[in-house]
Amino acid sequence: MMKLSGANNRGRYRFAVSILFSVIVVIVAGTFLYFPQIYSSLFAAVARPFWRIQFAVNSGVLKTEEILIMENETLKRTIYEQNLNQATVRELELENLELKDLLGRASTTDGILAAVLVKPPLAPYDELVIDLGYDFIHSTTSRVYAPGHVLIGKISEISGQVSKVRLFTSPGQKVEVEIGPKHYPVTAIGRGGGQYEAQLPRSALVLEGDIANTSYLGDRFFAKVVSVIDDPASPFVKILLASPVNIYQLRWVMVEN
Amino acid sequence: MSKKTVVRIIIDFVIFLAVIQGWWFVALPIGLAAVLNLPYYAEIVIAGIFYDSLFGLMPGSGIDGYLASIVTLTAYIILTGLKKVVRD
Repeated sequence: MMKLSGANNRGRYRFAVSILFSVIVVIVAGTFLYFPQIYSSLFAAVARPFWRIQFAVNSGVLKTEEILIMENETLKRTIYEQNLNQATVRELELENLELKDLLGRASTTDGILAAVLVKPPLAPYDELVIDLGYDFIHSTTSRVYAPGHVLIGKISEISGQVSKVRLFTSPGQKVEVEIGPKHYPVTAIGRGGGQYEAQLPRSALVLEGDIANTSYLGDRFFAKVVSVIDDPASPFVKILLASPVNIYQLRWVMVEN
Repeated sequence: MSKKTVVRIIIDFVIFLAVIQGWWFVALPIGLAAVLNLPYYAEIVIAGIFYDSLFGLMPGSGIDGYLASIVTLTAYIILTGLKKVVRD
């Protein structure tokens, strides 16, 4: 009789525990599904002190002052070296881009790459000195192109190791070009400083921003109209053109064979 | 304090540390072993909820966000039942 009563009590106890457990699971699951942020914030608050301790240990809170100073010095040196390396890489990237630009577009032409040794303002009268001499250049009329295959001038003098390039923007130099959407033929005369000047009848419709092409080179971009000066006393309008290439920043050119 | 209670507390602490680190592959086997060897080891379910609260429950994660809770609760129910069947 006592045994039966004990078994009954144990059974009831287990049943009560199971019911309690089920109720707790249902409540927890419900709140977990509908208010997950409660658990997140609660458990994150529990875990945070441990994470902080771990972070502090990883950050070197247990290291001695000497070790930290040494590490600091090493890191500073590494950063300095990395900066130097990065500057070198940036410089090489730039050079690579310029060379790709120059060689990529000129791949169908028989051109020779040349480095610009002297350029304006160090060279007078819009001239360049390049590192190609008699070995590579045989004609004083060879055309010279800037990156982007922009015609900028002609070889004017050749010596043993170097040559001079007379830019078309050099004062007095003349180039036949066609301006604007209607392709008005005109002679662009160099003014120096990377600019040209041209004259057209007043009836010609040319606006700032119009493009000038060299017709004999297959309509390549040569210059851009930067100003149209209209003098009522003159039958012509004066047009100022600028080369798309900044001659003060040229580093490489392509010389046509 | 009995030896079993001490072992239980140590296991709880190890599981707690593993969950904080996100090492479910450590916490789960220890928890399953504890369910099999200790009476009413419901801490495994709490550990599952704890894990999901810390590393699950991302917006848009769906049921994956509750995976640890589901796995631990299922494992607890099945293993507790299995234990009873084997003992009887």
